[in-house]
Amino acid sequence: MHSQASDRELALVAWLRSRGSALLGFSGGVDSAYLACVAVDALGPDRFLAVIGRSASYPEEQWRHARGVAQRHAIPVVEIDTRELDDPSYAANPSNRCYFCKSELWTRLVPLARERGFASVIDGTNADDRGDHRPGGAAASELGVESPLADVGLTKAEIRALSLRRGLAGWDRPASPCLSSRIPYGTAVTVDRLRRIEAAERAVRSLGVAGDLRVRYHGELARIEISRDELAAWLAPDRRDALDGAVRSAGFARVAIDLAGFRSGSLNVLAGVRPE
Amino acid sequence: VSAPSLEVALDALGIPCDVEAHDRLAVVIPRGDVSALADAGPRRQVIRLARDHGFTHIALELVASPRAAEGAAANVAPAAPRATLHRD
Repeated sequence: MHSQASDRELALVAWLRSRGSALLGFSGGVDSAYLACVAVDALGPDRFLAVIGRSASYPEEQWRHARGVAQRHAIPVVEIDTRELDDPSYAANPSNRCYFCKSELWTRLVPLARERGFASVIDGTNADDRGDHRPGGAAASELGVESPLADVGLTKAEIRALSLRRGLAGWDRPASPCLSSRIPYGTAVTVDRLRRIEAAERAVRSLGVAGDLRVRYHGELARIEISRDELAAWLAPDRRDALDGAVRSAGFARVAIDLAGFRSGSLNVLAGVRPE
Repeated sequence: VSAPSLEVALDALGIPCDVEAHDRLAVVIPRGDVSALADAGPRRQVIRLARDHGFTHIALELVASPRAAEGAAANVAPAAPRATLHRD
């Protein structure tokens, strides 16, 4: 373990203790799971609470994982239903869609923290995220949500390494952004579309695809992106048939596989639209 | 973007197919054996060709549907929404 990561973990503990108590927006992803474990150790279960916001854009598999992590590591957790899909600004799917989602989440969690006496509201943004285009971060800032992982400089790689050292299940899980990210900007986000995408990804996973996976929505056509390491194997004729059947079973009429594989975090411009 | 000229270029590479344009996504609809695409070398060449023809993405349709054949005849997507931008 690189000593810098260990030093940053100590700084994180100090950061949390300086606030006295904290309520975390908890997705069960690598970052928020690690932060929850450190926070419950640093603050104790009475001064820390993890809150899961559930909606159709939050994959059920991710929810199960989040509940499992909470149970295994004695993390106090509650759930609320979020209603970002009821917001026309979100449903229209502009390039700053995440802003409206996070506004809904934090508008619910900040008062909850106040009611329950938590001194701070925190999220799992890490140091790498700060360089990305993240409209959701603006909503967090507006509502006074803090990002301790980023504040102490912890990177994704360090968080994975520290999670492994803690024996945290899922330390190596691929990123799992919300299901709405599979729908091109400008195409409306609906519950039906999200359910089809989720069902398609679940069906593809059941075939044995293990790494990064996205089923992108193009109307009646689904475009599968899988990790480059696995791509060659899934281009074999018998496996192509299996993939096709799996995705069609979720309600898509046509299925294609991206020949470049999964592209993470990049602005995958299909029509020259730039994020706001 | 130019789907017809990409089609010709892919054919010359030994990938018999129709190409359907969904804005800057090229959907390759096989007309014969495309097993060469399982190899990284030919796949890289195909991706490069797609970029040379103005596409940002290229995807292989797994099982060609009648709808695909319709669209491919005209080199355009039958009824796809306007694809814009993905982030994650």
